[in-house]
Amino acid sequence: MKKYINTQSFFAAAAFSAVLLTASCKKDFLNVPPQAQQPSVTFWKTPEDALKGVNAIYANLRSWNNVAFNTIVIESTGSDEADKGSTPTDATFFNLYDQFTVTATHGSLQDFWTGQYQNINLCNQVLDNIPNITMDETLRNRYLAEAKFIRAYSYFRLVRAYGNVVLRLHVPKDNSEYNLPQSDKAAVYAQIEKDLNEAAAALPQSYGAADLGRATKGAAIGLHAKVAMYQNKWSDVLSLTNQVMTMGYDLFPDFEKGFRTQNENNIESLFEVQAELVPGNGDASNSQYSQVQGVAGIMGWGFNTPSEALANAFETGDPRKDATILFKGETTPQGDLIPTTVPNERYNQKSYVPFALRVSGFNEGAQQNFRVLRFADVLLMNAEAANEQGNASQALTSLNRVRKRARGGNNAILPDVTITEKTALRTAIWKERQVELAMENDRYFDVIRQGRGAAVFGVKGWKANKNEVWPIPQNEIELSGNLLKQNPGY
Amino acid sequence: MKRIFTRISVLAAFCLLTINVALAQNITVKGKVIDGGDKTPLPGVTILIKGTQNGAQTDVNGNYSISVPANATLVFNFVGYTAQEQAVNNQTTINVSMASSTQQLEQVVVVGYGTQRKIDVTGSVGTVKGEDISKQASVNPVSALQGKVAGVSITNNGTPGSSPQITIRGTSTIYGKTGPLYVVDGVWYDDINFLNPADIANISILKDASSQSIYGIRAANGVVLVTTVKGKKGTAVINYNGSVGIQTVTNQVEMANASEYATAVNEAYSLQIPPAAPLFANTNLGAGTDWYNQVLRSAAVTNHQLSISGGTEKSTYNFSLGYLDQDGIVKNNNYKRYTVRLANDFQIFEPLKIGYNVAGTYSKSKDAPTTIFRAMYAASPVVPVFNTDGSYGDPNAFNLGNGSNMNPQATLDFFNQNTTKYKINGNVYAELKFLKNFTFKTSIGGDFGQEEVRGYVPKYKATNTQLSTISKLDIDRIENRNWLVENTLTFDKRWSDHSLTILAGQTAQRNKMYTINADAQNVPYTSEGDLYLALGDAAARSIIDKGELSTFSSYFARVNYGYKNKYLLNASIRRDGASQFFGSDNVWGNFPSIGAGWVISNEEFMKDQNIFSNLKLRGSWGKVGNAGVPFNPSTQTVDQSAALIAIFGGIPYTGASIRSIVPPTLFWERSAGTDIGLEMGFFKNRLNVELDYYNRKTEQAIFDIPVLGSLGTANSSLIANQADIQNRGFEFLATWADKTSGGLTYSISGNLGINVNKVLNVTSGANPIYKGGGGLTSGYVSTRTVNNRAIGEFYGYQVAGIFQTDAEAAAWPGFKKGDFKYADINGDGTIDLRDRVVLGNPNPKFTYGLNTNFAYKNFDLTVDIQGVADVDVFNANLSSRFGNENFTKDFFDHRWTGPGTSNTYPSADLAGGLNNAPNSFYVEKGDYIRLRNIQLGYSLPIAIVNKWKMQRLRVFLNAQNAVNIFGYKGFSPEVGGTPTNAGIDTNVYPLFATYNFGVNVTF
Repeated sequence: MKKYINTQSFFAAAAFSAVLLTASCKKDFLNVPPQAQQPSVTFWKTPEDALKGVNAIYANLRSWNNVAFNTIVIESTGSDEADKGSTPTDATFFNLYDQFTVTATHGSLQDFWTGQYQNINLCNQVLDNIPNITMDETLRNRYLAEAKFIRAYSYFRLVRAYGNVVLRLHVPKDNSEYNLPQSDKAAVYAQIEKDLNEAAAALPQSYGAADLGRATKGAAIGLHAKVAMYQNKWSDVLSLTNQVMTMGYDLFPDFEKGFRTQNENNIESLFEVQAELVPGNGDASNSQYSQVQGVAGIMGWGFNTPSEALANAFETGDPRKDATILFKGETTPQGDLIPTTVPNERYNQKSYVPFALRVSGFNEGAQQNFRVLRFADVLLMNAEAANEQGNASQALTSLNRVRKRARGGNNAILPDVTITEKTALRTAIWKERQVELAMENDRYFDVIRQGRGAAVFGVKGWKANKNEVWPIPQNEIELSGNLLKQNPGY
Repeated sequence: MKRIFTRISVLAAFCLLTINVALAQNITVKGKVIDGGDKTPLPGVTILIKGTQNGAQTDVNGNYSISVPANATLVFNFVGYTAQEQAVNNQTTINVSMASSTQQLEQVVVVGYGTQRKIDVTGSVGTVKGEDISKQASVNPVSALQGKVAGVSITNNGTPGSSPQITIRGTSTIYGKTGPLYVVDGVWYDDINFLNPADIANISILKDASSQSIYGIRAANGVVLVTTVKGKKGTAVINYNGSVGIQTVTNQVEMANASEYATAVNEAYSLQIPPAAPLFANTNLGAGTDWYNQVLRSAAVTNHQLSISGGTEKSTYNFSLGYLDQDGIVKNNNYKRYTVRLANDFQIFEPLKIGYNVAGTYSKSKDAPTTIFRAMYAASPVVPVFNTDGSYGDPNAFNLGNGSNMNPQATLDFFNQNTTKYKINGNVYAELKFLKNFTFKTSIGGDFGQEEVRGYVPKYKATNTQLSTISKLDIDRIENRNWLVENTLTFDKRWSDHSLTILAGQTAQRNKMYTINADAQNVPYTSEGDLYLALGDAAARSIIDKGELSTFSSYFARVNYGYKNKYLLNASIRRDGASQFFGSDNVWGNFPSIGAGWVISNEEFMKDQNIFSNLKLRGSWGKVGNAGVPFNPSTQTVDQSAALIAIFGGIPYTGASIRSIVPPTLFWERSAGTDIGLEMGFFKNRLNVELDYYNRKTEQAIFDIPVLGSLGTANSSLIANQADIQNRGFEFLATWADKTSGGLTYSISGNLGINVNKVLNVTSGANPIYKGGGGLTSGYVSTRTVNNRAIGEFYGYQVAGIFQTDAEAAAWPGFKKGDFKYADINGDGTIDLRDRVVLGNPNPKFTYGLNTNFAYKNFDLTVDIQGVADVDVFNANLSSRFGNENFTKDFFDHRWTGPGTSNTYPSADLAGGLNNAPNSFYVEKGDYIRLRNIQLGYSLPIAIVNKWKMQRLRVFLNAQNAVNIFGYKGFSPEVGGTPTNAGIDTNVYPLFATYNFGVNVTF
């Protein structure tokens, strides 16, 4: 009996291992698909894939490289409107950009560059792959147009910042297409305009609530106007802005409230980077645009603070001063007291999110959209273009429309501009741009476009024939095997 | 706890009842015990009557006398010698010659899939006995190996329950699993922190490629073979080991006090351009808060281990229980581990044996916040722990800015995270001997584990920045389900002058890991019963899961041939298929090895010489692979991360796209190594010396290199086979074991490993791979990997001095007085990243240990010293600054305060300009030497303990890390890290010493 049991258990054990042995010898034992990851060969097959691909483009616009430190140092710190902020000893690399001592190896140059190309890759993925998907033709054309708009926006930011950049219009097929030379500035601008024309042709003027924030025809034409302005193509600027002015946009009545979260995507908005605090989803609530500029220690880190020069630039009584700058000790219209113990005199109010909206565990102010293009900018571009084309009266109409809104019904302040002399009017429009668009990442490149870089920023170390653009990232030059060429003076 | 002990006593009682007491007529046996080598008498040898607690000891002349039943068996035991059994069989005189375990060539070494006589081994295998591990205060078995084996470098992490980092013969892998393969009783693991050190009978470390090769697939970083304790025939032996101890911080760094801090911050502000107004109107603030004293403590550690083992002719058993309760030196931190292990072997009938070995582990830890060490360093001493009204001291009230805006006490008080781990693993096997020389063995092993990390943040407000507006529950679960099936067939035959062993085998294994991370907001907490995600806001729950699955199929064979115990030949081949590589043409990899040995001392011509008692020359070559690489790296996947969720009209919408580039195909990462060794015994084997030279090359190492940012990928890197790495080195082991006529038995063993690491070829060629640091080093990368240099060298500016005046700094844009003056390496007149140089190497060149044992009468003493030399550490504690972090006292005392005050330390404006960039000032020597372990034991005289029905009662005092000598200015020079991010110290667990008192009791 005993022996019988033992023999039986031996055979049972042998049989068990034989089964496992067989399992392991099966041919597909080693064929294990990626776990919890979708292979890319199965993507770009359905209309849903197309939609996800387009959505991803918008999502990346709120990434760190697109809205936070790297954007600030490239697009704002060099100007006269913003100081480094925070405590003197915090993130002192801002000073490299403030004092124009930065060299090609600084990391933010690479990160801003990469951030824009990340947008461009997402656009190229859509542009290369969506044409092969069987889907509604109108929707496809809209998707392609959305991608073209954001590709144009990203290249515009690149060409302003670096001059000659690499023009990637397709996803590289293999490593033979990884390393491409720079195109000149003119070719980059030409491509941007081509993309914007094609985008404007296919984009709708507006969307339903579920698509609010997608690129519109108005956004494409308005951005095109700005791109044309940076090339001094004044007749184009005039006709493009005229076109936008017939599309139903208007100035939001209350300048200050227009920047609060409940008034996002208002009637004045042509394009905003959409952000939100999504409960339970920190990664989707990843915009740090407001956080890095928030009141230090309360709503963020306190960088990119409005300068004293900006505070002094506003005309007496201009309500935009108080709407643009959070002063130490003030109480905001939303009832927040900025304590006197904060390290800085002033903070950016255009990125301000009321303290009550803070949810711990999330970036402070994750809700705040970044305003890319407002109708006020369109009006001021229209004014400037009209003036350049010799039409002072149209220029004054557009300019004074902006001032009227700022006045907020108080006729004692901000009187209408009446100058008609071209140079003086140009100066007045530039001045209006400074105060109207302050702390919106416009001022630095605007002054350079106006040809006044040395005059306005020279005192800080800005030099003509060098500082019009930042250096090409050194790491990128090295990885390209010196195929990329450095900008003059760096 | 109480309940556990009740269970133990029930079990113990049960086992005691089953002891068979032999009854027979007693006779008196006398005899002499001598050393088998030099024939001198051995005093202090214990002689036990097998199956009882009765025994005797030899006197100074080696003589003994004992009254025993005529049919009894005597067991002779002596430290450093192999135990021996002698049946009495009515003899009245039994003389015994004992063989020293250090001098016997018949010593058996555990190798891959079997054992070999030490004399037959042709590779390099380091062995450590279980008793040497259990004599350490280490609660982790790997930690106990520190300094024990030449060429094995161990970096401890003080966090209770964590595992140290182990590197065998240098860093040979950059990506993926960089640790060795652990094989416990035949089952494979990546980590063995579940093991109770007391359960370990023996550890073998396979160091050379030929020994490792039989584990082909996962052996590239070395193999650690662990054999656990099994029962032996005889009556039940009950062992209890217990200790209590205290852990205290050593080598603590002194920080600036409040007055000093305020002075330094004001100085830094005054140095800004334009100068900023002083932050502190009054700098006379006294000592202020010492955050280290506030957060750290002396912590208790308690250990209980109980084992019962024994067996009959047909079966043996070993049952053990372990309990560890360790407080962390950070307040509130605690770790408890319960282990249980049961091994049974049954000789079913003559040729067939079956058995199993199964272990369960449960651990629970109340975790310390991982950021606390950095927080203590950075926190300002001007901030009180609590204000007079009882509220938390708030750094924001002092306007300290980012970087030091935390109150570590609040961090600690509102941190509530528990980690529990359950693990059950082991194997069952059947072994059949047939046709005289054949053995077939089949084994099924499994490893099933579940880990849960549960954190809860209440709604609170401690300071302006340390608050939570919502409560949050986080639950992370990790599950492992791994199995391994092994079938081996062994042919073993010795005839005349020949010995031949042939092994053939097949294995299959499957490793599955599943991770799920979930959180919910607004979960109430009135009791533990509330801590469910279901009680949180339904609209704000988040769940993310991940999985890993890999399968392996392998075939292997090995031949060992010996002729006349003089000429040895080993050869093996392993063929592995791994699912990681499925889809490429490289699913299968072949890993051959060959080794040869010549025992010169057994040659005729050596007969008459007296110098060498043993002389053996051996050489080997082998190839091994590393499948511990990322999963499916050549398969491009879709990025569906939450960062791609788009917002329209305030509502989230899913986004996905392709944001990576992948290599067209992936090859096995493999490494080929040569080892040449010389083993020598002198003075009748009292001195044994072992020398090894090795040269090992990892080919096609898999890791990521940077790619153009303009490709727009998510992380600008490409994972592929892109480097060859070489580790070359030399190892030395010398052991002297002897005893004096006065009765002192001792052994002194020293080991030294020298390793030189070099990247031979990297795809990026002259373009270096910059890595490391980042957030740790003020946002700068701080290591570089490039052709012909070591992996992950520190890289940064060379400090040439300190600018004494603004006039002196004027020529250098961005610099001012008090700043570091950097060498302008490329001579272009500006200082930027093109001016960086190699600053140091985090890979230690020398690791060494000195291990000693002394026994005199009833006393025994163990002293272990261990250290590393020629290694550098990046002191990022000091350099990582985002504002007004605190300073060390050393920095405060030596800082630049005006012309002529210092040409080495910069001004207090450490965060200014490029002062916090990686530079030579922050890279320090990481050499250290320490008294790793010292243990003094006293065994009570056998006559006394016999009266208490015990076989042995020993008490001991133990100290670990009692003395540490190093010049490094941080907390501990023991800094780990991944290969391209190693040796960067910012948040290291402070070094602590442990003092224990304990008892060992055997019934």
